[in-house]
Amino acid sequence: MQISRRLRQIAFAMVWSAPFAISAEPIEPPPQSQPAPGPATGLSDSAGLRATVFGTPPEAMAPLPAKVPLYEINITLPWRLPVPEILWFDAKLRVWLSAQDRPAPLAIVISGTGSDGNNKTISILRAALYGAGYHVLTMPSPTFSGFIVSASSTGVAGDLMQDGHDLYAAMQEIIAHLPPKVRITDIDLLGFSLGGANAAIVKSIDASEGKLKVHRVVMINPPVSLFSSVGRLDRLFASTIGPGEMGVDLLYRRLYAQLANLYRVSDRLELDEKFILTAAAVTLKTDAEFSQAIALAYRLQLVDMFFIGDLYAKTGVVIDPEHRPKVGDSLEDIQRDLRAKPFADYFTRVFAPYYLQRRPEASSASLIAANRLDIIADALRSDGDYYAQTNSNDLILNRRELDWLQDTLGPRIVVYDHGGHLGEIGDRQQVADMLDMLAGRWPRSAP
Amino acid sequence: MKTAVLMSVGLLALSGCASQMVSIRTVPDQTPAADNAAALANAAAFAEAVATESAEVESVAAETASGSPPEVHGGPEAAPLLTPEDAPPMYTYDPWERFNRFAYRFNARFDEAIFLPVANTYRRVPSPVRAGVHNFFANIAEIDSVINYTLQWRLKYGLRSLERLVINSTIGIGGLIDAATKLKLPGTPTGFATTLAKWGMHPGPYLVIPLLGPSTLRDGVGFLADYGAEYGINIAGLYRGNVSWALGPVNTIDQRANIDFRYYSGGSPFEYETIRFLYVRRRLIEDVGLRANERPKKPAVEVPAGK
Repeated sequence: MQISRRLRQIAFAMVWSAPFAISAEPIEPPPQSQPAPGPATGLSDSAGLRATVFGTPPEAMAPLPAKVPLYEINITLPWRLPVPEILWFDAKLRVWLSAQDRPAPLAIVISGTGSDGNNKTISILRAALYGAGYHVLTMPSPTFSGFIVSASSTGVAGDLMQDGHDLYAAMQEIIAHLPPKVRITDIDLLGFSLGGANAAIVKSIDASEGKLKVHRVVMINPPVSLFSSVGRLDRLFASTIGPGEMGVDLLYRRLYAQLANLYRVSDRLELDEKFILTAAAVTLKTDAEFSQAIALAYRLQLVDMFFIGDLYAKTGVVIDPEHRPKVGDSLEDIQRDLRAKPFADYFTRVFAPYYLQRRPEASSASLIAANRLDIIADALRSDGDYYAQTNSNDLILNRRELDWLQDTLGPRIVVYDHGGHLGEIGDRQQVADMLDMLAGRWPRSAP
Repeated sequence: MKTAVLMSVGLLALSGCASQMVSIRTVPDQTPAADNAAALANAAAFAEAVATESAEVESVAAETASGSPPEVHGGPEAAPLLTPEDAPPMYTYDPWERFNRFAYRFNARFDEAIFLPVANTYRRVPSPVRAGVHNFFANIAEIDSVINYTLQWRLKYGLRSLERLVINSTIGIGGLIDAATKLKLPGTPTGFATTLAKWGMHPGPYLVIPLLGPSTLRDGVGFLADYGAEYGINIAGLYRGNVSWALGPVNTIDQRANIDFRYYSGGSPFEYETIRFLYVRRRLIEDVGLRANERPKKPAVEVPAGK
């Protein structure tokens, strides 16, 4: 019985991090080469911040199927780089498949920044797509630790084109190894947050290589400029939590005291999941607190990508390339160091040095410019198979970026007036529109 | 029987170690419609709980602000509220880190190769049967809870555990049905680790126990004592008898199948740090609850959490 208790404690420990485990903060490219000025929360408002944290409320959820079967696929990719000893657990790419019993189109869903292929957000999309008759394959973001180690050909994530090529190759490898009973009639791509941009890039690569014959793409809350969206999240962190480790320490102390006091007055005997979720709802009240939760969630994902990038690129920011950490070594100080570093540091100290060395013709400015969705602007404008859904209060976009998306996609984008970033996923309207877009029934008003 | 079971576990272990290029395995179905219905059903109760907690916290905060001696509800000797300065540092006391990290990796691999596949298979058993197994073991653990609530001198809860034990062992057909919870006697297990905490012992060094997972020295000792007590009492001959060899595995599988945790599912290089941080903070907050009458002593020098 004690074994159970111990394991339950781990589970509850994990739940404690639930308020922070928001699925996906994006890394994105902006239309101008300098970080956009303006508010750190982009277009977001109070309602948008709350929707970003809590997601679609259960009463607004689209009808979902009773049962969704699931296969877990672990695959070793032939182009994988040597796996560092301390990342042994990320050696295989892990994706999930829900297969229909009959021939059906395959919908591939790509997760948002730093997220794996089986989180809460992606599960809602999987259920909606499976219920509509698709085979559904869900994949991690190319910025997810498990993807970088198992599937990246560089180890340095965040470059739209490079990540797109790695994703494209991984998709081919996975599809080639699916059991023969999975009969695929067509392939569509979806992605949310950064995954939306990834999906569009993969389709544009496929348009010239033709190996998958990707049909339609739906981008959900995509970034326009990787670096301006990321800059926005960094500013959100700096303005609500404070720069560096000091801010994180203060936030931690405040949360600890709040949770301990709440626990004590509640006269409970166990710090269980229900209590923690209640406590999170009690603790999160102001816009600043919601902003902190969002900024911290994003930063914690960045920390992993930064660490792995520094390890692979041997840039020596936090890891001495001559003395790489081993399994028994403490990583806590490295983690603290990285938590204090914004994305700008990843760009100038890992990303740019790595790519500039390999692309002699490039410059920092050109690397930034290459990480904007407008590198495929012509395709987005002229190819009728690209679609998008976003929100007028998405915190990763500013006015200019939203205008650019609307101008470029014309009738093939729908903008909701709620949901913040990803907080509309699963609601009736979003699901209905997404399915119509995928099926080519969009725009509906057309004769 | 015994040989067959042990052999199949061994085979499972070997298959887990196989390193083919692609492995495709079935995992439990997702049930999105039912999950959303449950979320909808819980929403009202959740909102109410949030409102209640908010009101309690605000009233305590108001007392503090009004200058009257700040105290929590629950007694004249109640201590003032914790302030952010009372929080332990973010560093955790972990002098055996090297051992712990290797044990953590061992546990992750063992879990992936054996516990998880077995638990996933077990989840195909009809849920009433699984619930029966779970209740049965929970009922045996109730004995240990009665003993420890008594040692902690929290007789109110000890009595509740005793009532639960009697009700579930009789009306609940030997513990297979949790009748007591339906009679508004919810179960809250405790153990010797909590008794040690109540007696004033700190968590001590962080400890990753092979096969069991995150713990501390105090919790590890508590675990051994709990097991020792159950072994000594030997209820229904389960711990020293013909079927004892099966008891541990079935219990373990039941426990594992009830926990929605997977090692390294987040892919993070810092999972060890994260789990250690969360585990120790959770235990420390529970300690604060146990010693509601005293303010946590601020050490002269900043020491890592848990020491």
